[in-house]
Amino acid sequence: MFGRLTWDAIPFHEPIPLITSLVVLIAVGAIGFWVWRKGWWPYLWNEYITSTDHKRIGVMYIVLALLMLVRGFADAIMMRAQQSLAIGASQGYLPPEHYNQIFSAHGTIMIFFVAMPFVIGFMNFVVPLQLGVRDVAFPTMNNVSFWLNASGALLVNLSLFLGEFARTGWLAFPPLSEKAFSPGVGVDYYLVALQISGVGTVLTAVNFVTTILKIRAPGMSYLRMPVFCWTALASNLIMLAAFPVLTVALAQLMLDRYLGFHFFTNDGGGNSMLYMNLIWVWGHPEVYILVLPAFGIYSEVAATFSGKPLFGYRSMVFATMVICIVSYCVWLHHFFTMGAGADINAVFGIASMIIGIPTGVKIYNWLFTMYGGRVRFTVPIYYLIGFMLTFVIGGLTGVLLAIPPVDFIVHNSLFLVAHFHQVIIGGVVFALMAGYTYWFPKAFGFTLDERLGKAVFWCWFIGFHLAFMPLYVLGFWGGTRRMQHISDPSWAPWLHVAFLGAVIIGIGIVLTVVQLLYSIKTRDQRRDVTGDPWDGRTLEWLTLSPPPHYNFAVLPDVHGEEAYWTRKQTAIKEERLIDEPNYQPIEMPINTPTGVIVAFFASVCGFAIIWYIWWLAILGLIGAFAIFVWYAWQDEHEHIIPVDEVRKNARERRRIRMEHLHTISQST
Amino acid sequence: MTTEAATIGLTHGGSEDTGLGHRGPESKSIVVPYGFWLFVLSDMVLFSALFASYATLVHATDGGPTTNELFDRGLVAVETVALLLSSFVCGLAMITAKRGNMVWTQAWLVATGILGAVFLGIELYEFATMVGEGAGPQRSAFLSAFFTLVGCHGLHVACGLLWLGTMMAQIWAKGFQQHIIRRLLCFSIFWHALDIIWVGIFTIVYLIGTLPA
Amino acid sequence: MTENEDNLLDVAPGAPHNNILSESVAYIIGLALALILTGVSFWVASTGVLWGPGIATGLVVLAIAQIGIHLVFFLHITSGPDNTNNVLALAFGVLIVFLVMIGTIWIMAHMNANMMPDPALTNLQMQH
Repeated sequence: MFGRLTWDAIPFHEPIPLITSLVVLIAVGAIGFWVWRKGWWPYLWNEYITSTDHKRIGVMYIVLALLMLVRGFADAIMMRAQQSLAIGASQGYLPPEHYNQIFSAHGTIMIFFVAMPFVIGFMNFVVPLQLGVRDVAFPTMNNVSFWLNASGALLVNLSLFLGEFARTGWLAFPPLSEKAFSPGVGVDYYLVALQISGVGTVLTAVNFVTTILKIRAPGMSYLRMPVFCWTALASNLIMLAAFPVLTVALAQLMLDRYLGFHFFTNDGGGNSMLYMNLIWVWGHPEVYILVLPAFGIYSEVAATFSGKPLFGYRSMVFATMVICIVSYCVWLHHFFTMGAGADINAVFGIASMIIGIPTGVKIYNWLFTMYGGRVRFTVPIYYLIGFMLTFVIGGLTGVLLAIPPVDFIVHNSLFLVAHFHQVIIGGVVFALMAGYTYWFPKAFGFTLDERLGKAVFWCWFIGFHLAFMPLYVLGFWGGTRRMQHISDPSWAPWLHVAFLGAVIIGIGIVLTVVQLLYSIKTRDQRRDVTGDPWDGRTLEWLTLSPPPHYNFAVLPDVHGEEAYWTRKQTAIKEERLIDEPNYQPIEMPINTPTGVIVAFFASVCGFAIIWYIWWLAILGLIGAFAIFVWYAWQDEHEHIIPVDEVRKNARERRRIRMEHLHTISQST
Repeated sequence: MTTEAATIGLTHGGSEDTGLGHRGPESKSIVVPYGFWLFVLSDMVLFSALFASYATLVHATDGGPTTNELFDRGLVAVETVALLLSSFVCGLAMITAKRGNMVWTQAWLVATGILGAVFLGIELYEFATMVGEGAGPQRSAFLSAFFTLVGCHGLHVACGLLWLGTMMAQIWAKGFQQHIIRRLLCFSIFWHALDIIWVGIFTIVYLIGTLPA
Repeated sequence: MTENEDNLLDVAPGAPHNNILSESVAYIIGLALALILTGVSFWVASTGVLWGPGIATGLVVLAIAQIGIHLVFFLHITSGPDNTNNVLALAFGVLIVFLVMIGTIWIMAHMNANMMPDPALTNLQMQH
């Protein structure tokens, strides 16, 4: 009846997961109860959970990412603590089978459920606003994508309470991840969760490529799109083409595990090297899925806070698209040592170095944007500068690793761990934190506290370097990654420093929460009245903060590269706004519970597959199909916002803008 | 939305430089099939990974049966013709649907479905025979790759049939509304794409696999 | 702007032309060409009159030609200016498909040559 699921699945005899589980369950229950007592559930249901508004969905993605960041960071600090304790005679506090689950969960969660939703969240929130339109191409599908992602995150975290997680590393290489060597549910949790969230990701990619290519404001031609939209386009193209390959690799491993196929097994002619190949066909482009939108955020931040147009806009666009293509030509550098031979290694090594060139172009563009500008040293600019310092070093260690003979020496070492954390934290996480500070007022109508923001930056910056610079050294000394116990006592000081670094990052994460709470508490003093708190240059600053559901009463008419900046300067010069347009009623998509119900059935089905409860899996599939048919049968997918309401809101915005214009003209 | 901008005199006269941008957002009749076209292309990439796996593992027979011993060209020829005709008939259904002809549209769609079911039936028969001969997917890596590649295409056809049935019911119940026509167009893109993938399969798997060694 | 004018400037992939005769003719031509190419493929594979080692390559070429026929006559992907976005997306997809397939086959062939143990050798090890 319940397949493999028995009472043994609950970790009664392991105190750490048991206590964590209880604490998490109590916390979730308490928050749910508190929201219910406050009477906020209907609001949450109507305004967020079932919303098809790209801004609300973006916020939900980012909330999911921040929650998962806490989980992923808890794993990280447990690993660092174990490594700084388990040296020499001491065995530390984590047994190997638990430690292995932690590093696997850390990688999986950080990439799939922190970095991805964070990046997708920003694309959701920003892209339609920057393109000057009212929503994405497929608003309902957007909601479905989010909930499928959340469903994957739920399943990964469920492994904490029921059963176990994979002990195979974040990419679950066979033959270790085959049934013969990993008979438990851990790898199945991993596979099923990633397949479900992968479907969501492909749908997101379809949605955003279509949006950017087909839905833009009048006059917003390709070479007038903000760089963030270009990077989002590149990133989504990569997603569209890379995620199917991940689906195939994971599906083949599932077939091996569930039906006894022989893709990657040691017997039957299987070939585990094929899995490494396929997973990295996806895996390397994945790096660029994350880092390209990050580059986009830096571009926006650099231009805005330097008070100058972005230097070399066209070269930036060109570099982005080159990276988009070349990212598909370098995947073998993840397995130079597997034995493809010198000629193949040389080809992929050279391709990996070539991809550094467009990246270098971008770094110079940001530098020249700041050069000669009137730079305002706000939190996002701190992150930009911190990024450039950190990322260049990370990029250089990457070029080292791209040289096959060097890779043979340092592959799979702590040097590698330090390298990819340097590009992901220094490149992606810094950008996400910059974007969080930059767009927060647009989402909620008040700014985040600047002082605490800077404190968070310093925690990340100092903490990161303390945590990962020692790993470069240890890597050179021969330290391999994923060690549960360290036998050489002379490594102790370095590992202690690394632990200290992790603690400082932890303080940064706590301060992020404090900053949020403090900013909410003092929000009345930090209101963004005008909708343009940073003197921005792109269209999202044209509308109010937070924007109305439909973003723009009339789609803005674009006349140049920096759509909003041009318009603003004209208004300031002529001391008047453009003539009041003739407002029209607006058609907007209605809310739908489709996404959350589909994700519910997907979670049920996934859970049933993990535990071999076949009847439940079939029920889940039928349920998901039924809800789709139900949705397809609806006739009304849009509602009309009456012209009076549009006009009223638009006039209010014009009044605010006029006042603002007077203040500006008086001050100059 | 474009109309609105035009009435208030905000659109550019079409003299703007590049891209589609000067006209503002495209209508749904363009956006929806375009999005679906992207999805189909992403599905093609999925199949490319399956083809690549098959090509890698085709000689990993582990002492079991090889391609020449298993495949029957006659059956494949019938399958191919059935799927090709199905694709053609689906095109005819699109033509009649655009003109709102209920009877002919349903008739062509039924024909599409029957031909698809013939294809699927032959494929299942072939699979059953192979499994019966002890050449199931568990036998060797080659057979795992074969069943996954061809089976994934078959699964797509099966899902297509499910979609087709739902679509026919919807047209019957609701008539030719704009959004239903759009969905039917998406279905036809899907169905033609499956035919394209089958061209790759019958060439690479069946014909090249049965060339005299 | 009306729907029709939109269609002049940009078309959806797979959208049939507007004239019922030319539409049907396109499908019939497509079907005929596809059937011919399929027939030629099966004939090439069965006949003994052609140069053996070239047959596999010839079959792949025929398949690519037939895929082209399907794209043009069934999916209506053409080189017209109204089709630019559809063709660009297709080009990107084709590029990735070829990178994935050729890259994987190339890499895996080398891996197999360099790293896979000889079956005879594995059998020897098993006997010991």
